[in-house]
Amino acid sequence: MTDIKKTYKNYVHGKFVRSESGKVYSIDLKKEKYEIPLTSKKDLRDAVTSSKEGFKNWNQLTMYNRSQILYRLSEMIEGNKDSYISLLEDHGLSKINSKNDINNAIDTIVWYAGLVDKWEQLTGNLNPVAGEYFNISHQEAIGVTFTLSSNSISLNELIKSILPPLTVGCSVINFSDKNAVIALKLSEDINNSDFPSGSLNLLSGKFENVIEDVGGHVEIKHAAIYEKISKKSSEILGQKASESVKRISILPSTSGISSILPFIETKTVWHPKGK
Amino acid sequence: MNNWEYSESIESEKIVNIEKKYGNFIDGKFVTPKSKQYIDTISPSTEKILSSISIGNQQDVDYAVASAKEGLKKWSKTNPSERAKYLFKLARLIQERSREFAVLESLDGGKPIKESRDFDLPQVAQNFFYYAGWADKLDIAWGSEQYKPYGVVGQIIPWNFPLLMLSWKVAPALATGNTVVLKPAETTPLTALLFAELCEEVGLPDGVFNLVTGDGSTGSHLVNHKDIKKIAFTGSTGVGKYIQKSLAGRDVGLTLELGGKAANIVYSDAALDEAVEGVVNGIFFNQGHVCCAGSRLLVQEDIEEKFIKKLEKRMQTLNVGNPLDKNTDVGAINSKDQLDKIEKLVNEGVADGGDLFQIECELPKNGFWFKPSLFTSVQANYKIATEEIFGPVLTTLTFRTPEEAVEIANNTEYGLSAGIWTEKGSKILWTADRLEAGVIWANTFNKFDPASPFGGYKESGFGREGGRHGLLSYLKVSS
Repeated sequence: MTDIKKTYKNYVHGKFVRSESGKVYSIDLKKEKYEIPLTSKKDLRDAVTSSKEGFKNWNQLTMYNRSQILYRLSEMIEGNKDSYISLLEDHGLSKINSKNDINNAIDTIVWYAGLVDKWEQLTGNLNPVAGEYFNISHQEAIGVTFTLSSNSISLNELIKSILPPLTVGCSVINFSDKNAVIALKLSEDINNSDFPSGSLNLLSGKFENVIEDVGGHVEIKHAAIYEKISKKSSEILGQKASESVKRISILPSTSGISSILPFIETKTVWHPKGK
Repeated sequence: MNNWEYSESIESEKIVNIEKKYGNFIDGKFVTPKSKQYIDTISPSTEKILSSISIGNQQDVDYAVASAKEGLKKWSKTNPSERAKYLFKLARLIQERSREFAVLESLDGGKPIKESRDFDLPQVAQNFFYYAGWADKLDIAWGSEQYKPYGVVGQIIPWNFPLLMLSWKVAPALATGNTVVLKPAETTPLTALLFAELCEEVGLPDGVFNLVTGDGSTGSHLVNHKDIKKIAFTGSTGVGKYIQKSLAGRDVGLTLELGGKAANIVYSDAALDEAVEGVVNGIFFNQGHVCCAGSRLLVQEDIEEKFIKKLEKRMQTLNVGNPLDKNTDVGAINSKDQLDKIEKLVNEGVADGGDLFQIECELPKNGFWFKPSLFTSVQANYKIATEEIFGPVLTTLTFRTPEEAVEIANNTEYGLSAGIWTEKGSKILWTADRLEAGVIWANTFNKFDPASPFGGYKESGFGREGGRHGLLSYLKVSS
């Protein structure tokens, strides 16, 4: 009997899609070889259109609801643990390391799921101004966020490049290269976790093919780079980003409250007190 | 119309002592600039030359950065509570010499003494006092995570609130353990130079605060200096983008506080007389040289006529003239360049078809002046409705529904501030949630406080100044 091999595709707006260019690149594992989408500039633009709508969809949910959707993702992964472990083993990790990584990834998701309805209590505050005013600083999600995930063969590292912006209400376009099979596999569980369309899109490919568009696209409000990139790439990204004063984070923090700070805008509201 | 004229009440200039020529302040002392290039700084209300300041070149910037690097060795070993004390002492000295600073600020920049005396200076002192207290609490400010200072910080500040912007930049930078090279604007360097004297007086360790005067070229040397670890800039969006581009690919922190075109939304259920006061304060404060000025009046259609009538009547009572006269509400335009920009945009507004109202008043013969102005019958695509004028010019647009108000308010690349006027609390919250702006004033406008974070969304920049959030502009997560 012949085994059936899975075809991995990009995940955009709740659908599994090939690159419009038809191009692919190979990830050659110990047992399997996968041909996965080589994301084009057009694919990226489509993902941004989706993410723009996704930002609205994701934000109109209550924090409690978003928190449950993230928790649901951990439940889905828990149920499919074995398949993740064997995929990591096929990438060359030992069984124990694979198992630990998946367990850590689940813990990371649970941590962020529990943060969704709390972070603003940690980052916002009343400001004691010298006068009869009510003055509060609270935070809002910055909007459509692009994240380049780390190349390490790890579901946990991948998760850490997705959840910080998602937790605070950004919609996320995650881009993966060497770890892309793991990311595209994750999209199946994302698809089963009730994420609204466009809130989280996953793309695979070579970052240098889309770097100028990531920097230049005005609807991408923040680009967070979790993988070391060359000085040249960083220059191109920064120069294009400056055209719209886009926020760029190179190797941002991946733990604690500092991991979410790049993705929020502080809004301060004043009102006089009186009778 | 003014039935009662005010008698003149001029604040004496004698309190200030301006040198004929200034050097830079580097390594704890005033030094002769290596550039040997000077430029006059004038009083925009009289065009009288006040002094001559240096245009710092590469060598001057090199010297200042080297001094800040050396200063960092001492400053980073200074106990945080000692750092706090220096800042507390600076706050006290500023309070003591507050009148002197205020007169100098009004002379050099053209703003009314009423504002420099009652707004700028009290805020400056309070800002040092506020951040002084954070210096020894950095470990608890943002949880238990380890934050550390950047190191040598380059700061470039504008001419609209010269000393206030200095305090917004310098106080948090020093409190968090950084050392500073500051470049003030070339038209308004004098209060920064006087501040340098205070640093000497409190015995701030050499190299902790350095000052290089100059123009854009000096700023550019600072931005591109290899030993600078962070740049903080307040100014135009154009220059902000240039700085961001220059720093692309370098591991240098950046915060930008850029332009704005704030909507001041007046709903028909607002307390109209209070709203008129707020709208006037929102645009004519500091001659409209305010990045967060409420320069777009969005008034609900059914009250437009009534509101504009009240507004014009109130505008007519504004006193325009000598900044040192305590009765002056609107002072001089900061420079000839700025006046030209304002005139050009206003002429375009008239040519586009806007109806221009200007108050009747006599303007002084010398100096740079512009009458408080109001545009009505404006289309959303006119330049006066989209571009930052940075002068005493208000542009009116109308709306029918709250949804439309929000849409018009957000229809700009800027996102610094916004105003909401309504007596209905739920409408304030609904509107505030939807406005893309970093600071929102509801039933008030142009209020500032050292404890209150300030900064923009979108192309108005990133990072916050003020409050607990302002600390993050000068700290990075240690890895």
